[in-house]
Amino acid sequence: MEPDPADDAELLSAHCAGDAHAFARLYDRYDRPCFRFIRRLLGSAHADAAEDLHQETWIAISRNAAAFDPGKASFSAWLFTVARHKVFDHFRRAKVAVLAGAGDDAALRLIPDPAASPLEAVESRDLAQRIITAVEALPLEQRGALIMFADAGLSLEEIADATGVAVETAKSRLRYARAKLRQVFAGERSVHV
Amino acid sequence: MSDPDAMPDPIDKAYVEAEAVLNDEAARTARRARVLAAVARQPDAAAPAARSRPWRRGGWLVAASVSGLAFVVAIQLYRPSPLPPPIKLPAPPASPAPARVPTPPTKAAPRVERPRPAPPPVTIAPSPAPPPAAQSVAAPTPRAFPTVEPAPPPPPPADSAASERAAPVQPANQPQPANGGVDNRDAMTQVVVTAEKRESPRRSVPVAISAFAGRARDVADPGARLRAAAAAGRTAEMEGLLEHGAAVDSPDAEGDTALMKSVQADRPAAAALLRRHGASLDQKNHAGESARDMASAKGDAALDQAIGLSP
Repeated sequence: MEPDPADDAELLSAHCAGDAHAFARLYDRYDRPCFRFIRRLLGSAHADAAEDLHQETWIAISRNAAAFDPGKASFSAWLFTVARHKVFDHFRRAKVAVLAGAGDDAALRLIPDPAASPLEAVESRDLAQRIITAVEALPLEQRGALIMFADAGLSLEEIADATGVAVETAKSRLRYARAKLRQVFAGERSVHV
Repeated sequence: MSDPDAMPDPIDKAYVEAEAVLNDEAARTARRARVLAAVARQPDAAAPAARSRPWRRGGWLVAASVSGLAFVVAIQLYRPSPLPPPIKLPAPPASPAPARVPTPPTKAAPRVERPRPAPPPVTIAPSPAPPPAAQSVAAPTPRAFPTVEPAPPPPPPADSAASERAAPVQPANQPQPANGGVDNRDAMTQVVVTAEKRESPRRSVPVAISAFAGRARDVADPGARLRAAAAAGRTAEMEGLLEHGAAVDSPDAEGDTALMKSVQADRPAAAALLRRHGASLDQKNHAGESARDMASAKGDAALDQAIGLSP
Protein backbone atom coordinates (compact mmCIF):
# COMPACT_ATOMS: atom_id res chain seq x y z
CA MET A 1 0.00 0.00 0.00
CA GLU A 2 1.13 3.56 -0.64
CA PRO A 3 3.13 5.11 2.12
CA ASP A 4 0.92 7.56 3.88
CA PRO A 5 2.05 8.92 7.18
CA ALA A 6 -1.40 9.77 8.44
CA ASP A 7 -3.04 7.17 10.59
CA ASP A 8 -6.33 5.69 9.41
CA ALA A 9 -8.10 6.95 12.49
CA GLU A 10 -6.68 10.41 11.98
CA LEU A 11 -7.95 10.48 8.44
CA LEU A 12 -11.34 9.40 9.63
CA SER A 13 -11.36 12.12 12.27
CA ALA A 14 -10.37 14.65 9.64
CA HIS A 15 -13.23 13.43 7.51
CA CYS A 16 -15.57 13.95 10.44
CA ALA A 17 -14.19 17.44 10.81
CA GLY A 18 -15.09 18.17 7.22
CA ASP A 19 -11.81 17.48 5.43
CA ALA A 20 -12.95 16.32 2.02
CA HIS A 21 -9.55 14.96 1.03
CA ALA A 22 -9.07 12.84 4.09
CA PHE A 23 -11.75 10.40 3.09
CA ALA A 24 -10.32 10.11 -0.41
CA ARG A 25 -6.93 9.27 1.02
CA LEU A 26 -8.45 6.65 3.25
CA TYR A 27 -10.40 5.26 0.34
CA ASP A 28 -7.28 5.00 -1.79
CA ARG A 29 -5.58 2.98 0.88
CA TYR A 30 -8.21 0.30 1.03
CA ASP A 31 -10.10 0.54 -2.20
CA ARG A 32 -8.47 -2.40 -3.94
CA PRO A 33 -8.42 -4.94 -1.13
CA CYS A 34 -11.89 -3.96 -0.07
CA PHE A 35 -13.31 -4.31 -3.53
CA ARG A 36 -11.52 -7.59 -4.13
CA PHE A 37 -12.72 -8.88 -0.81
CA ILE A 38 -16.30 -8.11 -1.74
CA ARG A 39 -15.91 -9.35 -5.27
CA ARG A 40 -14.31 -12.62 -4.26
CA LEU A 41 -16.78 -13.29 -1.51
CA LEU A 42 -19.60 -12.74 -3.95
CA GLY A 43 -18.11 -15.15 -6.46
CA SER A 44 -18.78 -15.06 -10.14
CA ALA A 45 -22.50 -15.73 -9.74
CA HIS A 46 -23.03 -12.45 -7.90
CA ALA A 47 -20.22 -10.43 -9.41
CA ASP A 48 -22.63 -7.78 -10.65
CA ALA A 49 -23.41 -6.74 -7.10
CA ALA A 50 -19.79 -6.01 -6.21
CA GLU A 51 -19.77 -2.41 -7.32
CA ASP A 52 -22.93 -1.55 -5.43
CA LEU A 53 -21.87 -3.32 -2.27
CA HIS A 54 -18.49 -1.67 -2.40
CA GLN A 55 -20.14 1.72 -2.68
CA GLU A 56 -22.57 0.92 0.12
CA THR A 57 -19.66 -0.12 2.28
CA TRP A 58 -17.88 3.19 1.89
CA ILE A 59 -21.05 5.17 2.39
CA ALA A 60 -21.62 3.27 5.61
CA ILE A 61 -18.07 4.01 6.67
CA SER A 62 -18.58 7.68 5.96
CA ARG A 63 -21.89 7.87 7.77
CA ASN A 64 -20.65 6.14 10.86
CA ALA A 65 -17.21 7.64 10.93
CA ALA A 66 -17.92 9.57 14.10
CA ALA A 67 -18.83 6.36 15.88
CA PHE A 68 -15.55 4.66 15.07
CA ASP A 69 -13.46 4.02 18.14
CA PRO A 70 -9.83 3.31 17.26
CA GLY A 71 -9.35 1.95 20.74
CA LYS A 72 -11.62 -0.97 20.01
CA ALA A 73 -10.48 -2.09 16.61
CA SER A 74 -8.34 -1.03 13.71
CA PHE A 75 -9.93 0.81 10.86
CA SER A 76 -9.15 -2.01 8.46
CA ALA A 77 -10.88 -4.53 10.71
CA TRP A 78 -13.90 -2.24 10.89
CA LEU A 79 -13.93 -1.70 7.13
CA PHE A 80 -13.85 -5.41 6.41
CA THR A 81 -16.49 -6.03 9.02
CA VAL A 82 -18.78 -3.64 7.21
CA ALA A 83 -17.91 -5.08 3.83
CA ARG A 84 -18.49 -8.60 5.01
CA HIS A 85 -21.88 -7.65 6.43
CA LYS A 86 -22.80 -6.08 3.15
CA VAL A 87 -21.98 -9.29 1.32
CA PHE A 88 -23.90 -11.42 3.77
CA ASP A 89 -26.84 -9.04 3.60
CA HIS A 90 -26.77 -9.39 -0.15
CA PHE A 91 -26.78 -13.15 0.12
CA ARG A 92 -29.66 -12.95 2.51
CA ARG A 93 -31.64 -10.74 0.17
CA ALA A 94 -30.81 -13.02 -2.73
CA LYS A 95 -31.79 -16.00 -0.59
CA VAL A 96 -28.40 -17.58 -1.01
CA ALA A 97 -27.69 -20.17 1.61
CA VAL A 98 -24.29 -19.55 3.13
CA LEU A 99 -23.10 -22.85 4.42
CA ALA A 100 -20.33 -23.27 6.87
CA GLY A 101 -17.30 -24.94 5.36
CA ALA A 102 -16.84 -28.57 6.12
CA GLY A 103 -13.96 -29.69 8.22
CA ASP A 104 -10.75 -29.58 6.32
CA ASP A 105 -8.69 -32.08 8.16
CA ALA A 106 -8.65 -34.38 5.17
CA ALA A 107 -7.53 -31.55 2.98
CA LEU A 108 -4.77 -30.73 5.38
CA ARG A 109 -3.41 -34.20 5.08
CA LEU A 110 -3.11 -33.72 1.36
CA ILE A 111 -1.11 -30.55 1.60
CA PRO A 112 2.10 -30.71 -0.30
CA ASP A 113 5.19 -29.29 1.22
CA PRO A 114 4.91 -25.52 1.09
CA ALA A 115 8.49 -25.29 -0.05
CA ALA A 116 7.51 -27.24 -3.09
CA SER A 117 4.77 -24.81 -4.02
CA PRO A 118 4.83 -24.31 -7.76
CA LEU A 119 3.66 -20.75 -7.75
CA GLU A 120 6.49 -18.33 -7.24
CA ALA A 121 4.97 -15.96 -9.70
CA VAL A 122 1.93 -15.67 -11.84
CA GLU A 123 3.08 -15.63 -15.40
CA SER A 124 -0.02 -15.54 -17.42
CA ARG A 125 -3.44 -14.04 -17.21
CA ASP A 126 -4.93 -17.43 -17.76
CA LEU A 127 -3.17 -18.85 -14.80
CA ALA A 128 -4.14 -15.84 -12.71
CA GLN A 129 -7.74 -16.41 -13.60
CA ARG A 130 -7.51 -19.99 -12.54
CA ILE A 131 -6.03 -18.96 -9.25
CA ILE A 132 -8.84 -16.53 -8.69
CA THR A 133 -11.33 -19.19 -9.61
CA ALA A 134 -9.74 -21.47 -7.06
CA VAL A 135 -9.93 -18.76 -4.43
CA GLU A 136 -13.57 -18.17 -5.22
CA ALA A 137 -14.19 -21.86 -4.82
CA LEU A 138 -13.02 -21.78 -1.23
CA PRO A 139 -15.58 -21.84 1.53
CA LEU A 140 -16.75 -18.31 2.20
CA GLU A 141 -15.09 -17.68 5.51
CA GLN A 142 -11.82 -19.25 4.42
CA ARG A 143 -11.90 -17.10 1.34
CA GLY A 144 -12.49 -14.01 3.39
CA ALA A 145 -9.68 -14.84 5.79
CA LEU A 146 -7.24 -15.41 2.95
CA ILE A 147 -8.10 -12.15 1.20
CA MET A 148 -7.98 -10.10 4.37
CA PHE A 149 -4.63 -11.58 5.31
CA ALA A 150 -2.94 -11.77 1.93
CA ASP A 151 -4.33 -8.77 0.14
CA ALA A 152 -5.39 -6.31 2.84
CA GLY A 153 -2.60 -7.13 5.22
CA LEU A 154 -4.81 -7.66 8.24
CA SER A 155 -3.34 -9.54 11.15
CA LEU A 156 -4.99 -12.66 12.46
CA GLU A 157 -6.33 -10.63 15.37
CA GLU A 158 -7.87 -8.12 13.03
CA ILE A 159 -9.40 -10.87 10.93
CA ALA A 160 -10.84 -12.35 14.09
CA ASP A 161 -12.25 -8.93 15.00
CA ALA A 162 -13.72 -8.40 11.58
CA THR A 163 -15.40 -11.78 11.46
CA GLY A 164 -16.38 -12.02 15.09
CA VAL A 165 -14.50 -15.21 15.84
CA ALA A 166 -11.58 -16.25 17.98
CA VAL A 167 -8.07 -15.78 16.66
CA GLU A 168 -7.58 -19.52 16.53
CA THR A 169 -10.62 -19.85 14.32
CA ALA A 170 -9.33 -17.17 12.00
CA LYS A 171 -6.00 -18.91 11.90
CA SER A 172 -7.63 -22.23 11.06
CA ARG A 173 -9.61 -20.68 8.28
CA LEU A 174 -6.48 -19.20 6.78
CA ARG A 175 -4.65 -22.48 7.09
CA TYR A 176 -7.43 -24.42 5.45
CA ALA A 177 -7.66 -21.91 2.64
CA ARG A 178 -3.99 -22.18 1.91
CA ALA A 179 -4.13 -25.95 2.09
CA LYS A 180 -6.89 -26.16 -0.46
CA LEU A 181 -5.17 -23.77 -2.78
CA ARG A 182 -1.97 -25.75 -2.55
CA GLN A 183 -3.89 -28.77 -3.60
CA VAL A 184 -5.22 -26.96 -6.59
CA PHE A 185 -1.87 -25.44 -7.44
CA ALA A 186 -0.17 -28.80 -7.21
CA GLY A 187 -2.57 -29.98 -9.88
CA GLU A 188 -1.79 -26.90 -11.92
CA ARG A 189 1.89 -27.72 -11.84
CA SER A 190 1.28 -31.25 -12.99
CA VAL A 191 -0.74 -29.87 -15.86
CA HIS A 192 1.82 -27.27 -16.78
CA VAL A 193 4.91 -29.32 -16.38
CA MET B 1 8.80 -19.11 17.89
CA SER B 2 6.82 -17.48 15.12
CA ASP B 3 3.51 -18.90 14.12
CA PRO B 4 3.78 -20.19 10.53
CA ASP B 5 0.10 -19.47 9.99
CA ALA B 6 0.66 -15.84 10.80
CA MET B 7 3.52 -15.52 8.32
CA PRO B 8 3.15 -14.68 4.65
CA ASP B 9 2.86 -17.73 2.48
CA PRO B 10 3.73 -18.25 -1.18
CA ILE B 11 0.09 -19.01 -1.72
CA ASP B 12 -0.78 -15.54 -0.48
CA LYS B 13 1.70 -14.02 -2.86
CA ALA B 14 0.32 -16.02 -5.73
CA TYR B 15 -3.15 -14.82 -4.98
CA VAL B 16 -2.09 -11.17 -4.72
CA GLU B 17 -0.18 -11.38 -7.97
CA ALA B 18 -3.10 -12.99 -9.68
CA GLU B 19 -5.27 -10.14 -8.54
CA ALA B 20 -2.69 -7.68 -9.81
CA VAL B 21 -2.64 -9.34 -13.20
CA LEU B 22 -6.40 -9.17 -13.43
CA ASN B 23 -6.62 -5.65 -12.09
CA ASP B 24 -8.55 -3.25 -14.28
CA GLU B 25 -7.24 0.19 -13.53
CA ALA B 26 -9.79 1.97 -15.67
CA ALA B 27 -12.60 0.27 -13.86
CA ARG B 28 -11.00 1.14 -10.58
CA THR B 29 -10.73 4.79 -11.49
CA ALA B 30 -14.35 4.92 -12.49
CA ARG B 31 -15.35 3.14 -9.31
CA ARG B 32 -13.34 5.56 -7.23
CA ALA B 33 -15.01 8.55 -8.78
CA ARG B 34 -18.42 7.01 -8.31
CA VAL B 35 -17.91 6.03 -4.70
CA LEU B 36 -16.39 9.32 -3.62
CA ALA B 37 -19.15 11.22 -5.36
CA ALA B 38 -21.75 9.09 -3.63
CA VAL B 39 -20.11 9.69 -0.28
CA ALA B 40 -19.96 13.41 -0.95
CA ARG B 41 -23.62 13.42 -1.87
CA GLN B 42 -24.52 12.11 1.51
CA PRO B 43 -26.03 15.15 3.19
CA ASP B 44 -24.43 14.51 6.49
CA ALA B 45 -21.48 12.39 5.71
CA ALA B 46 -19.47 13.36 8.73
CA ALA B 47 -21.83 15.10 11.05
CA PRO B 48 -24.72 12.75 11.54
CA ALA B 49 -23.34 10.65 14.32
CA ALA B 50 -22.06 13.70 16.12
CA ARG B 51 -25.43 15.29 15.76
CA SER B 52 -27.36 12.27 16.81
CA ARG B 53 -25.43 11.85 20.01
CA PRO B 54 -26.65 14.97 21.72
CA TRP B 55 -30.12 14.16 20.50
CA ARG B 56 -29.93 10.76 22.03
CA ARG B 57 -28.46 12.12 25.17
CA GLY B 58 -31.11 14.80 25.31
CA GLY B 59 -33.83 12.29 24.75
CA TRP B 60 -32.51 10.17 27.51
CA LEU B 61 -32.33 13.13 29.82
CA VAL B 62 -35.86 14.18 28.98
CA ALA B 63 -37.14 10.68 29.60
CA ALA B 64 -35.29 10.46 32.88
CA SER B 65 -36.51 13.87 33.94
CA VAL B 66 -40.11 13.09 33.11
CA SER B 67 -40.06 9.79 34.93
CA GLY B 68 -38.32 11.32 37.90
CA LEU B 69 -40.79 14.16 38.01
CA ALA B 70 -43.68 11.74 37.77
CA PHE B 71 -42.26 9.77 40.64
CA VAL B 72 -41.80 12.84 42.77
CA VAL B 73 -45.31 14.03 41.98
CA ALA B 74 -46.67 10.62 42.84
CA ILE B 75 -44.84 10.62 46.13
CA GLN B 76 -46.03 14.10 46.87
CA LEU B 77 -49.60 13.20 46.08
CA TYR B 78 -49.52 10.43 48.54
CA ARG B 79 -47.57 12.15 51.18
CA PRO B 80 -49.03 11.08 54.47
CA SER B 81 -50.49 13.95 56.28
CA PRO B 82 -48.22 15.17 58.97
CA LEU B 83 -48.83 13.10 61.95
CA PRO B 84 -49.09 14.44 65.34
CA PRO B 85 -45.55 14.36 66.50
CA PRO B 86 -45.15 11.54 68.86
CA ILE B 87 -43.48 13.72 71.36
CA LYS B 88 -46.25 16.18 71.67
CA LEU B 89 -47.90 14.53 74.53
CA PRO B 90 -44.96 13.40 76.49
CA ALA B 91 -44.35 16.74 77.95
CA PRO B 92 -41.39 16.93 80.17
CA PRO B 93 -42.38 17.05 83.72
CA ALA B 94 -41.31 20.64 84.07
CA SER B 95 -43.18 21.73 81.02
CA PRO B 96 -45.74 24.41 81.50
CA ALA B 97 -48.90 22.55 81.96
CA PRO B 98 -50.12 20.76 78.95
CA ALA B 99 -53.63 20.59 80.12
CA ARG B 100 -54.15 17.36 78.29
CA VAL B 101 -51.93 15.17 80.36
CA PRO B 102 -53.24 15.79 83.73
CA THR B 103 -53.28 12.41 85.31
CA PRO B 104 -50.10 10.44 85.01
CA PRO B 105 -51.18 7.64 87.31
CA THR B 106 -54.06 6.67 85.07
CA LYS B 107 -51.77 6.68 82.05
CA ALA B 108 -53.99 9.23 80.38
CA ALA B 109 -56.15 6.44 79.10
CA PRO B 110 -58.92 8.60 77.65
CA ARG B 111 -56.30 10.66 75.84
CA VAL B 112 -54.72 7.67 74.26
CA GLU B 113 -57.96 6.25 73.03
CA ARG B 114 -59.22 9.39 71.40
CA PRO B 115 -57.09 9.73 68.30
CA ARG B 116 -57.47 6.17 67.27
CA PRO B 117 -61.06 5.14 67.12
CA ALA B 118 -62.15 6.63 63.85
CA PRO B 119 -59.22 6.23 61.48
CA PRO B 120 -57.55 2.89 61.42
CA PRO B 121 -53.81 3.12 61.49
CA VAL B 122 -53.38 2.44 57.79
CA THR B 123 -55.93 4.87 56.54
CA ILE B 124 -54.86 7.30 53.89
CA ALA B 125 -57.20 9.98 54.99
CA PRO B 126 -55.64 12.75 56.93
CA SER B 127 -55.42 11.78 60.47
CA PRO B 128 -57.16 13.91 62.96
CA ALA B 129 -55.43 17.18 63.30
CA PRO B 130 -53.30 17.36 66.32
CA PRO B 131 -54.49 19.66 68.95
CA PRO B 132 -52.82 22.97 68.41
CA ALA B 133 -51.86 23.20 72.00
CA ALA B 134 -49.38 20.46 71.50
CA GLN B 135 -47.37 22.48 69.04
CA SER B 136 -45.91 24.61 71.65
CA VAL B 137 -44.65 21.64 73.51
CA ALA B 138 -43.35 19.80 70.55
CA ALA B 139 -39.68 19.25 70.41
CA PRO B 140 -37.99 19.29 66.98
CA THR B 141 -39.94 16.63 65.22
CA PRO B 142 -37.77 13.74 64.23
CA ARG B 143 -38.31 12.18 60.83
CA ALA B 144 -40.70 9.36 60.89
CA PHE B 145 -38.32 6.59 60.09
CA PRO B 146 -35.80 7.20 62.79
CA THR B 147 -38.53 6.73 65.26
CA VAL B 148 -39.03 3.14 64.25
CA GLU B 149 -35.40 2.35 64.22
CA PRO B 150 -35.04 -0.56 66.52
CA ALA B 151 -33.27 0.91 69.42
CA PRO B 152 -31.22 -1.43 71.45
CA PRO B 153 -33.45 -3.01 74.00
CA PRO B 154 -33.09 -0.94 77.07
CA PRO B 155 -32.51 -2.48 80.36
CA PRO B 156 -35.87 -2.98 81.93
CA PRO B 157 -36.49 -0.08 84.20
CA ALA B 158 -37.80 -0.88 87.50
CA ASP B 159 -40.44 1.77 87.68
CA SER B 160 -43.29 0.89 85.33
CA ALA B 161 -44.47 -1.56 82.74
CA ALA B 162 -45.54 1.20 80.43
CA SER B 163 -42.04 2.49 80.03
CA GLU B 164 -40.95 -1.01 79.11
CA ARG B 165 -43.27 -0.93 76.14
CA ALA B 166 -42.33 2.54 75.13
CA ALA B 167 -38.61 2.24 75.29
CA PRO B 168 -37.88 0.15 72.19
CA VAL B 169 -39.38 2.72 69.86
CA GLN B 170 -37.99 5.76 71.50
CA PRO B 171 -35.93 7.85 69.12
CA ALA B 172 -32.34 7.82 70.03
CA ASN B 173 -32.03 11.57 70.07
CA GLN B 174 -35.26 12.18 71.85
CA PRO B 175 -35.04 13.19 75.42
CA GLN B 176 -36.15 10.45 77.68
CA PRO B 177 -38.86 11.58 79.96
CA ALA B 178 -37.76 11.01 83.40
CA ASN B 179 -41.00 9.62 84.60
CA GLY B 180 -42.21 8.86 81.17
CA GLY B 181 -44.08 5.65 81.67
CA VAL B 182 -47.48 7.02 80.86
CA ASP B 183 -46.56 9.40 78.12
CA ASN B 184 -44.22 7.02 76.43
CA ARG B 185 -47.04 4.64 75.85
CA ASP B 186 -48.91 7.33 74.03
CA ALA B 187 -45.84 8.19 72.04
CA MET B 188 -45.43 4.61 71.03
CA THR B 189 -48.90 4.38 69.61
CA GLN B 190 -48.20 7.40 67.50
CA VAL B 191 -44.97 5.99 66.29
CA VAL B 192 -46.61 2.76 65.26
CA VAL B 193 -49.08 4.67 63.17
CA THR B 194 -46.29 6.63 61.61
CA ALA B 195 -44.36 3.55 60.84
CA GLU B 196 -47.25 1.84 59.15
CA LYS B 197 -47.83 4.77 56.92
CA ARG B 198 -44.22 5.09 56.12
CA GLU B 199 -43.68 1.43 55.56
CA SER B 200 -45.90 1.23 52.55
CA PRO B 201 -44.72 3.93 50.20
CA ARG B 202 -44.07 1.47 47.43
CA ARG B 203 -47.55 0.08 47.59
CA SER B 204 -48.93 3.55 47.66
CA VAL B 205 -47.15 4.81 44.57
CA PRO B 206 -49.46 3.19 42.01
CA VAL B 207 -52.40 4.45 43.95
CA ALA B 208 -50.94 7.90 43.96
CA ILE B 209 -50.23 7.77 40.26
CA SER B 210 -53.75 6.63 39.59
CA ALA B 211 -55.03 9.44 41.69
CA PHE B 212 -52.85 11.78 39.75
CA ALA B 213 -54.42 10.61 36.54
CA GLY B 214 -57.86 10.96 38.00
CA ARG B 215 -58.54 7.28 37.71
CA ALA B 216 -58.80 6.39 41.32
CA ARG B 217 -61.55 8.90 41.74
CA ASP B 218 -63.33 7.57 38.70
CA VAL B 219 -63.10 4.00 39.85
CA ALA B 220 -64.69 4.94 43.10
CA ASP B 221 -67.36 7.06 41.42
CA PRO B 222 -70.36 4.98 40.27
CA GLY B 223 -71.37 7.76 37.93
CA ALA B 224 -68.00 7.63 36.21
CA ARG B 225 -68.23 3.88 35.96
CA LEU B 226 -71.68 4.17 34.52
CA ARG B 227 -70.49 6.62 31.89
CA ALA B 228 -67.57 4.39 31.03
CA ALA B 229 -69.81 1.34 30.76
CA ALA B 230 -72.28 3.29 28.65
CA ALA B 231 -69.57 4.40 26.26
CA ALA B 232 -68.39 0.81 25.98
CA GLY B 233 -71.87 -0.64 25.72
CA ARG B 234 -71.48 -2.85 28.78
CA THR B 235 -75.15 -3.03 29.61
CA ALA B 236 -74.87 -5.72 32.27
CA GLU B 237 -72.46 -3.61 34.23
CA MET B 238 -74.68 -0.60 33.73
CA GLU B 239 -77.66 -2.45 35.12
CA GLY B 240 -75.69 -3.45 38.16
CA LEU B 241 -74.55 0.10 38.75
CA LEU B 242 -78.02 1.51 38.29
CA GLU B 243 -79.46 -1.06 40.64
CA HIS B 244 -76.92 -0.01 43.22
CA GLY B 245 -77.95 3.56 42.97
CA ALA B 246 -75.62 5.13 40.45
CA ALA B 247 -77.04 8.48 39.38
CA VAL B 248 -78.25 8.02 35.86
CA ASP B 249 -77.64 11.60 34.81
CA SER B 250 -74.37 12.12 36.65
CA PRO B 251 -72.21 14.36 34.46
CA ASP B 252 -68.50 14.25 34.03
CA ALA B 253 -66.19 17.25 34.12
CA GLU B 254 -67.48 18.41 30.77
CA GLY B 255 -71.07 17.89 31.67
CA ASP B 256 -71.55 14.78 29.57
CA THR B 257 -73.90 12.18 30.98
CA ALA B 258 -73.91 8.45 30.47
CA LEU B 259 -76.65 8.84 27.90
CA MET B 260 -74.57 11.33 25.97
CA LYS B 261 -71.64 8.94 26.10
CA SER B 262 -73.72 6.10 24.77
CA VAL B 263 -75.06 8.30 21.98
CA GLN B 264 -71.59 9.52 21.08
CA ALA B 265 -70.28 5.98 21.05
CA ASP B 266 -73.30 4.79 19.07
CA ARG B 267 -74.48 2.30 21.65
CA PRO B 268 -78.25 1.96 21.14
CA ALA B 269 -78.68 -0.81 23.72
CA ALA B 270 -76.91 1.20 26.38
CA ALA B 271 -78.85 4.31 25.48
CA ALA B 272 -82.14 2.43 25.64
CA LEU B 273 -81.23 1.02 29.03
CA LEU B 274 -80.44 4.47 30.34
CA ARG B 275 -83.66 5.85 28.97
CA ARG B 276 -85.57 3.07 30.71
CA HIS B 277 -83.92 4.21 33.91
CA GLY B 278 -85.04 7.74 33.30
CA ALA B 279 -81.98 9.32 31.75
CA SER B 280 -82.66 12.81 30.56
CA LEU B 281 -82.60 13.56 26.88
CA ASP B 282 -82.46 17.27 27.48
CA GLN B 283 -79.81 17.73 30.12
CA LYS B 284 -77.09 19.82 28.55
CA ASN B 285 -73.37 19.57 28.85
CA HIS B 286 -71.03 22.52 29.20
CA ALA B 287 -71.05 22.99 25.45
CA GLY B 288 -74.81 23.39 25.60
CA GLU B 289 -75.57 20.12 23.86
CA SER B 290 -78.05 17.56 25.05
CA ALA B 291 -78.24 13.87 24.26
CA ARG B 292 -81.16 14.71 22.00
CA ASP B 293 -78.98 17.16 20.06
CA MET B 294 -76.23 14.64 19.73
CA ALA B 295 -78.57 11.92 18.52
CA SER B 296 -80.17 14.29 16.03
CA ALA B 297 -76.78 15.25 14.71
CA LYS B 298 -75.85 11.61 14.29
CA GLY B 299 -78.98 10.71 12.38
CA ASP B 300 -78.76 7.05 13.33
CA ALA B 301 -82.20 5.50 13.08
CA ALA B 302 -81.44 2.68 15.53
CA LEU B 303 -80.12 5.12 18.04
CA ASP B 304 -83.08 7.45 17.59
CA GLN B 305 -85.37 4.54 18.14
CA ALA B 306 -83.48 3.38 21.18
CA ILE B 307 -83.80 6.66 22.96
CA GLY B 308 -87.33 7.27 21.80
CA LEU B 309 -86.78 10.02 19.30
CA SER B 310 -88.48 7.98 16.64
CA PRO B 311 -91.06 5.20 16.92
